[in-house]
Amino acid sequence: MDEGTAIKVEHVSKKYCKSLNRSMFYGVKDIGRNLFGLSSHSDRLRESEFWAVDNVSFEVKKGETLGIIGPNGSGKTTLLKMLNGIFWPDEGKITMKGEVGALIEIGAGFHPLLTGRENVYINAAILGMNKKDVDEKFGDIIKFADIGDFIDTPVKFYSLGMFVRLGFAVAVHCEPDILLVDEVLAVGDTSFRNKCYKKLNEIKSEKNVAIVFVSHDLYAVEKFCDKGIFLNHGKNKSYGEIHKVIGDYQVMIRQLMKNQQDVTNPLFEKRFTKEVKITNVKFLNQDGKEQKVFAFGDTLRIRIEYEAENIIHNPRFRIDVWSWEEKLISIFDPHLENIEIPFINKGRGVIECLIEKLPFLENRYYLEIGIWDKTRTIIFDYWAGNINTNLSFDILPNRVSTTMGQWTPICHFDSRWLIDEKQLDRT
Amino acid sequence: MSEKITTYEPDNSLRKGYPSIFGEIFNELKKNRWLTFQLFKRDFFTIYKQSFIGVLWAVIIPIVSVGTFIVLNQSGVFAIGDIDVPYPIYAVLGMAFWQLFSTGLIACSNSLVSAGSMITKINFSKKSLVIASIGQSIVSFLIQFVLVVILFIYYRIEPNIAILLIPITVIPMMLFTLGLGFILSILNGIMRDIGKIIAVLMTFLMFLTPVLYAKPTTGILATVTNYNPLYYLVSVPRELVLNGTISEWKGFLIVSIASFIIFIMCLIVFHLTETRVAERI
Repeated sequence: MDEGTAIKVEHVSKKYCKSLNRSMFYGVKDIGRNLFGLSSHSDRLRESEFWAVDNVSFEVKKGETLGIIGPNGSGKTTLLKMLNGIFWPDEGKITMKGEVGALIEIGAGFHPLLTGRENVYINAAILGMNKKDVDEKFGDIIKFADIGDFIDTPVKFYSLGMFVRLGFAVAVHCEPDILLVDEVLAVGDTSFRNKCYKKLNEIKSEKNVAIVFVSHDLYAVEKFCDKGIFLNHGKNKSYGEIHKVIGDYQVMIRQLMKNQQDVTNPLFEKRFTKEVKITNVKFLNQDGKEQKVFAFGDTLRIRIEYEAENIIHNPRFRIDVWSWEEKLISIFDPHLENIEIPFINKGRGVIECLIEKLPFLENRYYLEIGIWDKTRTIIFDYWAGNINTNLSFDILPNRVSTTMGQWTPICHFDSRWLIDEKQLDRT
Repeated sequence: MSEKITTYEPDNSLRKGYPSIFGEIFNELKKNRWLTFQLFKRDFFTIYKQSFIGVLWAVIIPIVSVGTFIVLNQSGVFAIGDIDVPYPIYAVLGMAFWQLFSTGLIACSNSLVSAGSMITKINFSKKSLVIASIGQSIVSFLIQFVLVVILFIYYRIEPNIAILLIPITVIPMMLFTLGLGFILSILNGIMRDIGKIIAVLMTFLMFLTPVLYAKPTTGILATVTNYNPLYYLVSVPRELVLNGTISEWKGFLIVSIASFIIFIMCLIVFHLTETRVAERI
């Protein structure tokens, strides 16, 4: 194991049992075998068992953050629990260097009838702190949680938000070498969440803590993680640099959504007839030069090159712009501008969409481009991008995004401000 | 600086071999002393919270049982046998020791199940959880002991000075309870039947053990009592409080040694199997 490696996971698998009764008997059997010094043959599947995590390998270095993403039931939490040693893998090997802290569920171990203060001590003890540490850090914990007088109230009267605040405050002050964080920050309000990310970034850079982060909030994962692993049905679908992994995940989500759409949407009768084919899409600047990176306020020209088999009357072109976190930002459609395209001739052709003064802020955007017939019942051709294909473009940072940091919105518009002049009058 | 390296593999504890287990257990218990104490305190202070009559619950069971026996005895249905101290003192004291065992064992065997959500979410010493759950039975013992003191005052009887030895004489019982508790908590975590069986068994065992009546001298029950470890664990501390003597020290010694061995063996079994529970609980 390398000096800088904090977590090493080698071909790890874990099986679960779908039947409660069988689970009981398997449990007794495995325990029995172990007691007599026999292997439980955990690498074999028995009836009604399945692999919840299947042959997963990765490595996390000190000071590095790994994001685990994937749909529900893909094995993310199971993997995290194995890293924490809550249960052992059924195959493979996990090596952890240093003290491990886990935020798998906030407030687990809080006793509802005890006050916040009493629970801090118990929770800290459960998370592995000793009395001296807690006494020292108690002030910091309370300050970070920022729940005021409620600290002396039984936690059963806490709101979910207060619960999370206190739980996170305790866990983050344990000063582990490795921190495992499961989808726990989703509950807190924005300002607290911001504070948590700031704190996590702080322990990551100052204390060189390795962090494993599970979340469905791809935006947070992208901002916060260096590396990623995308799990589906327990299998490793993509692993590596975070942008690439998120892109691969989005491709899958898109595919799933499309499949659902195809079934439920009777509007599209014939799909991809290819009477008109999109042959290429280019991003051009004002001067017609091809580029992928633009600045706020630039002119963007999206050029669609196509090839038609026949003359097509009243074709409909449409461009959807998506931000990388899967939000539909804008639709460009000549129809919306009251422009009708009477026909396109057989053979190759070009159509261009020109957007002046781009209002988009620093982010990555991607397009979906389609050509329909005039009633929009037939799709001639359809290109769907994701943040990694060449259907994506980037907007550079500007004053707004550098000021706002991770709270940068998608768009910015010039605003005028009217200030009451009397207020400016000092006398 | 060398850092702690932890590895997890299938059949983890097996791989490391039996001899290293003792060291592991010892270190874990030592490292988690404060955690155990915190959990103990939690159980100790929360057992009677949000309850109207609160701590009085601890004395209701002995009062009702002892009362029933007094009525049964007076109506001639049941003979409690020859006892040389006032019966209420004898019975309440016996119940206090008995309950130390029975509530302790029930608390231990439920400890993993009731902390189920915690076990599946945080990796911490589950041994601490089982050990700490004894706190509940110690609270009720202390409360019942207040009742005993009141009875001593009422009957104007002076307890023997050996009353101060109680903490020592209950050690074997504690070890016995904990040992069984370790195993039963794991089994209960996997099969909930165990918890229910224990609850039923406790009532049965209480009637089988001379807690509320004198040690029988003839019949099957006399033989059973001779081989009943619980009899020694209850009657020896009681005799010590009442008379300051230990008449059956041999039996008590054997039971004590056995309790210690049971405790160690069960602790090892628990250590080897505790992570299996997190998967199935």
